[in-house]
Amino acid sequence: MGKKHQRMKKIMVKTMGNESYQGITVALFCIFLSLLAGAVLLLALGKNPLLAYKSILQGAGLWAKPRYAGHRSIITDFMSLLNYVTPMLFASLSVALALRCGLFNICVSGMMIFSGFTASVLIGYSDLSSWLAKPLVILIGIIAGGLIGVLIGFLKHRFNTNEVVSSIMLNYIIAYVSSFFIQTRFIDPVTRQSMKINEAARLTLTDTVVGNLKMDIPLLLPIGILIVAGLAFLLKRTKLGFDLKAVGMNPKASRYAGINVGRTMVTAMALSGVFAGLAGVTYFLGTFASLQPKVLPDTGFDAIAVALLGNQSPFGCLLASLLVMTINNGTTYMSSKLGVLREIASLITSILLLVSACSGFIRYLVNKYKQELEENRKEEDSLEETKL
Amino acid sequence: MNSIIIDGMSFSLPLFIIAIGGIYSESGGITNLALEGLLGFGAFCGGLTVALIEQFFPSGSAIPMYLAMLTAMIGGSVYASLHGLLCINFRANQVISGVVINILALSLTAFLANQINASWFGKTSNKFMLAVSPRVDIPVISKIPVLGAFFTSVYPYEFIIVVVALVAWYILYKTPTGLRLRACGDNPHAVDAAGGNVAAIRYGAVLTSGALSGLGGMCFAYSISTNFSPSIFMGFGYLSISALIFGNWKILPTLGTCLLFGFARSGGYVLINTLGLPSSFSDLVLTLPYVLTLILLIFFSKANQPPRALGEVYDKGKR
Repeated sequence: MGKKHQRMKKIMVKTMGNESYQGITVALFCIFLSLLAGAVLLLALGKNPLLAYKSILQGAGLWAKPRYAGHRSIITDFMSLLNYVTPMLFASLSVALALRCGLFNICVSGMMIFSGFTASVLIGYSDLSSWLAKPLVILIGIIAGGLIGVLIGFLKHRFNTNEVVSSIMLNYIIAYVSSFFIQTRFIDPVTRQSMKINEAARLTLTDTVVGNLKMDIPLLLPIGILIVAGLAFLLKRTKLGFDLKAVGMNPKASRYAGINVGRTMVTAMALSGVFAGLAGVTYFLGTFASLQPKVLPDTGFDAIAVALLGNQSPFGCLLASLLVMTINNGTTYMSSKLGVLREIASLITSILLLVSACSGFIRYLVNKYKQELEENRKEEDSLEETKL
Repeated sequence: MNSIIIDGMSFSLPLFIIAIGGIYSESGGITNLALEGLLGFGAFCGGLTVALIEQFFPSGSAIPMYLAMLTAMIGGSVYASLHGLLCINFRANQVISGVVINILALSLTAFLANQINASWFGKTSNKFMLAVSPRVDIPVISKIPVLGAFFTSVYPYEFIIVVVALVAWYILYKTPTGLRLRACGDNPHAVDAAGGNVAAIRYGAVLTSGALSGLGGMCFAYSISTNFSPSIFMGFGYLSISALIFGNWKILPTLGTCLLFGFARSGGYVLINTLGLPSSFSDLVLTLPYVLTLILLIFFSKANQPPRALGEVYDKGKR
């Protein structure tokens, strides 16, 4: 028993002991654990987990399917995956940036609805040309999201309201109020959703013919990747980024060090809101073209998982959102192929979330084991020396 | 006027019992945003119980309802132990753990409800239907004008909640156990020095909050939808958190806030009915408790005094 324990400790230290790569290795370990849990679940349902995971990859366009319909191939599936990844990337950046500053933004869903709704109403139903409409949609998304972010940050700074509670309240207020307007003014009586927006305002080119394929092209993904790089630079190399992280680690110490804590918090929330707003317009005016009344999009909550899994770093968010959306997107194909319920996708995602919430603990354990092993070695060395 | 009081009470009391659960957990020093998930999981367990045992009782029997409330409490506290595990043993960030547990509750109950309905009952549905709860008029007192409305067409669970709330109040403020629990939230090192086991007390607090939230969730399932479905996750848990924050982490002021939420909601519905507005305005009414919370928070957050060690991992070596 003791020996087995020792070996496990050694393996853990060997794989995750190097502190400069711990962000990646621990995240990989979390993914491994949750895929393992998912496999156990699938086995319990009497399905072959390897086949299930393969069909997830096939559904997401990362592994070739046996057959494709006309104008479809692995590339179209992959583009459709990217189309879903784009809003998730922005949403997770929004959560990650706020977390870096010690703020927990669960209003991402609400901000997404607010920006998506405003942009739909102002631009989506107008007949502006697409060269004018698309930039305006982006601009409105940025402003709308940023405004909500500033509001939450300001309330926290000025009135000491708990940002978690105020953002949850705003989530519901936004969802219900926008639902009221959708249902009284913009409802499509057939789909029970808001009326479809004009294609000119849409941030995804749907069913575009490239070669002999018809694919969806998310226009904002390159901008998203640029923002990832920009944000990494901001956090690592600028004064604002330093202030942000300092406030996140210890607001009191930052105040003594002369950092304007209130202003930093409001800035962080504003930026976080801007990203959430971008997520909203890419989601409601890109991936989809209408809003469902009274429903808070799951993206805003899954983004928390993605940000945690990505270790709150911009590049991590990019990789993690690819992973989570692969699971989400591939499940439709898996459930039709294996006859498993669709709900299992969100279950695996939430197990992933649960494990990544413990990633700090895993790190702590690994470092503790490392120290233990080193001490053991030292003791052995000294024992040998005395023998000699 | 009567319907404002009747509907308001049937909404506020479950909210109140969930908030008491939150007060227990947070007085013990564990931030509990997981109330939403706990109430949903509790309601799921209760709904499953009803679906399983209903056939053994004559229709109209109230026993399945009471059993459902019991299993909801048990299920809620079992699920809450996960929050305890993450926060106490695994030193996770308590806010994040709470939110994660909420998300897991939603996907887990949706999955289980679908799977169980499909494989045991041969249905494709994510709901467990419940019987309509009986409602009682208390003789004599219910005839009093205005005040009598508090005793007219009362759900049986309202009595249970009142009794449980009284017991919870007594334990928290009048017994040594309660004192230790509150000390865990303010100064865990003192509890440790006095020979108490901080981790055990905190576990107790979290499990209690799970049980009370489960009870509240089951009551909501009976009063609002008469079924269990994932739509039980409507944010009532979050609403009760804001009630307890606004109630300054004390039971009596929290009761006041919950009543305010309940009456604001039922009053809004009555207002729409009397003005003859179309039903789409109900969306605006539904925002009333949330708007009210936000405004109240703005005015009263400065004076708030949360338990001093709230949200901190207890570390023996730290001073």
